[in-house]
Amino acid sequence: MLLSVKPIVIPVEFSGETAAVVRRAQQMTSDPTHFHLLHVMVPIDDLSPGVLLGDCTQESRTGHVRKRLGSLAVECIVSYTRQVVLLGSLGLAIADCACNQNADVIVIPTCSYHGIKRLVLGSVGESVIRNAKCGVLVLRCSDAE
Amino acid sequence: MNSARSPFVLVLSMLLLTAAVAQQPLRAQDTNPPEPAGETVDKADVSVESVPQPEAQGSPEQNLLQRFEEKVDVVSGQVVGVIYGVLFHQFVGRKEFSEKLETIPFGSPEFSELIRSVEAALSDDEKSDAAWTASFVREHLSLADPAELNAQLDAIRAAAKVYLDNASAVVDLQEADFEFRLAQGDLTDNEAAVVADVLHHEFCSSKLRSMKISLADLQPEQSRVFTAKKSGIPIVVAWLIAGAVFFTLRMGFINFRGFFHAIRVTLGRYDNPEHEGEVSHFQALTAALSATVGLGNIAGVAIAVGIGGPGATFWMIVAGLLGMSSKFTECTLGQMYRRVRSDGRIMGGAMYYLSNGLKDIGLGPLGAVLGIMFAVLCVLASLGGGNAFQVNQSINAVQQAFPDTPWLADTAGRIGIGLVMAALVAVVIIGGIRRIASIAEKIVPLMCGVYVLACVYILVMNASAIPDACRLIVASAFNPQAGYGALLGVLILGFQRAAFSNEAGIGSAAIAHSAAKTEYPVREGIVALLEPFIDTVVVCTMTALVIVITGAFDVNNEEFSELITTRNGAGLTVQAMKSQVSWFPVILAVAVMLFAYSTMISWSYYGERCWSFLFGDRSSIVYRVIFVFVVVIGSIMSATNVLDLSDLLILAMAFPNILGAVLLSGKVKRDLDAYWRKLMAGEMKEYG
Repeated sequence: MLLSVKPIVIPVEFSGETAAVVRRAQQMTSDPTHFHLLHVMVPIDDLSPGVLLGDCTQESRTGHVRKRLGSLAVECIVSYTRQVVLLGSLGLAIADCACNQNADVIVIPTCSYHGIKRLVLGSVGESVIRNAKCGVLVLRCSDAE
Repeated sequence: MNSARSPFVLVLSMLLLTAAVAQQPLRAQDTNPPEPAGETVDKADVSVESVPQPEAQGSPEQNLLQRFEEKVDVVSGQVVGVIYGVLFHQFVGRKEFSEKLETIPFGSPEFSELIRSVEAALSDDEKSDAAWTASFVREHLSLADPAELNAQLDAIRAAAKVYLDNASAVVDLQEADFEFRLAQGDLTDNEAAVVADVLHHEFCSSKLRSMKISLADLQPEQSRVFTAKKSGIPIVVAWLIAGAVFFTLRMGFINFRGFFHAIRVTLGRYDNPEHEGEVSHFQALTAALSATVGLGNIAGVAIAVGIGGPGATFWMIVAGLLGMSSKFTECTLGQMYRRVRSDGRIMGGAMYYLSNGLKDIGLGPLGAVLGIMFAVLCVLASLGGGNAFQVNQSINAVQQAFPDTPWLADTAGRIGIGLVMAALVAVVIIGGIRRIASIAEKIVPLMCGVYVLACVYILVMNASAIPDACRLIVASAFNPQAGYGALLGVLILGFQRAAFSNEAGIGSAAIAHSAAKTEYPVREGIVALLEPFIDTVVVCTMTALVIVITGAFDVNNEEFSELITTRNGAGLTVQAMKSQVSWFPVILAVAVMLFAYSTMISWSYYGERCWSFLFGDRSSIVYRVIFVFVVVIGSIMSATNVLDLSDLLILAMAFPNILGAVLLSGKVKRDLDAYWRKLMAGEMKEYG
């Protein structure tokens, strides 16, 4: 595997396969500062009790995600990573992030949906491949729930 | 901005599409007369001249709206009929007879003989206990000459009376439907509707439920049918009762022994902000109550007491007390199997504990089926009881509160209010203006207090009548003279309306309670048991007492009879309050609209969670658009169809939920015992 000198973007969904994907991506970069862990959040639930009555905000959600990304970096023994948290459509957000970071490659697992969920949501991998302006490495892993 | 605008465009497109479909001329064979709209038509007014001619009356737009309303009514009635037959199939002692009467004229000795033969097929016990329902379809009537209309009306009246007398002579008739089918072309749709309306007002009571005129060319063998069936307990109601009794016994009467601890927890004595979750115990209870306290407490209770009599109140209270145990179990499970997402959001509810909990005990496939079944039913219920019922009954209440505003009764007026409510819902659930929802959630406890105070005021004004009312409630609940069938009917009504109101055993509230910050899942379950108490034992009982004390349940009282027979529960409560204090209905109308609004918002959240469970988070916009669309549809459906549909969809959720909760009850029991031991030993740390 050739080592990349440009940033690598790794979209993270915190599934069971996430750590394996991050370790695999580690083998591809020569510079840990080029390592971007990306999580794309769904829009906030405007009607959830936490938002209406509690203290759930966009900031608190972002904080939770950053904490989880930090833990993931520790778990994968990645000394330095850039953590990116975005809101929006998965495929587009990942492709946009890679473009903005001038990334060399996006490493994405194929945790695909089946049945109705696939019909409704489509494939994230396909969407990323369609929209990305850089290379996309798709890793096969177990299916999403 | 674009993403927020496109759903509005979609909603608008759907409305325009519906309007375009409604513009298509209705075929006569598809048309049934609408349910009585609530305006009284005097017998003396009925003549050929007075029959409204649709072409001569009203603008094309009004006719279009009228047809749209009729079409919605017919389609919703057909859907309700099919599903109702499946889910509310009565399994206890049900017997049904259906005879085609090609050769036996109604009212003849042969007809009486037929009914006797049906009765003979029952055992003695069944005979004495039987609660009969009957439906009659009159043979083809000829009304070819409009000048003969009045004479024909008299003939129909006479025939209906003969049928009713015949049936009542040989059986204890509980409910009956008459349907007269006329040849197409004899009458216009509107003329048929007027005739049906006249006959309905003349004949219908709590026993004689409906009188319909339909236009259709019939096959001879379809012309006359007599059906009689013995009532039993609808499966879903028996299921709810069995579940509530089981949980009460299994959890060692947690509904009583946990009551005061629940109050202490709700007051924040055990709140630790460091615990994982989104809201405090009190906030979780408030969120769940905003979904349960709604039109079910005002309209549902009035319907129960209006149809079943004062005794229904007693069984509602019993259902509320037993339901506390069901609520405890399901909300504890909701906490146990909730999921914490990467962004700190909590995802929980019956669909999670059914799929994950049953998997834990080796019943994965069953859990998957029940979880999906629950989620599908919850999505549909959120559109029925959580949406259409709320908007429909709240408009009825406003109509009743402002009777001098005729435009409120028009289809156009109802659609107008429906569109306003749809817009208010849309700005919150699609537009994301959460400030409105937040205010509504906080106002609900206040309005609940105002409503209870208004009820208390009426009760204090009639303090001397309270003991008699209580005696009447208890006596009617166990009235041996009314027979087993009537007693069963009252019990069923009480449990059904209580479950509809407090959602115990339904599983919906577990979605809200799973978000609470707590160390022990059991603790949130204990908080949740206050919900049926507040909703049913307090608020529903208040409504019921007002209905009983004001005599609004009396079907023979002209002031109330029509409201009872048309299942206009909200209107009945308004009328009962109006009879005491003339300006109370205005307060009630405001309270009802707010209750309806907050319930719709809360149920849209429940529905959306279940939609996300089925289709993923990122497709929830589709659900939101559908939800807004149904607000408009709900505004023009008939009250009877809305009530039946809502009952079906909400109560059906009890099937997967109670089955799963029973299978997982051992785990809840173990946790409860451990928690209770610790509590009794004084080992529970208090923070507040």
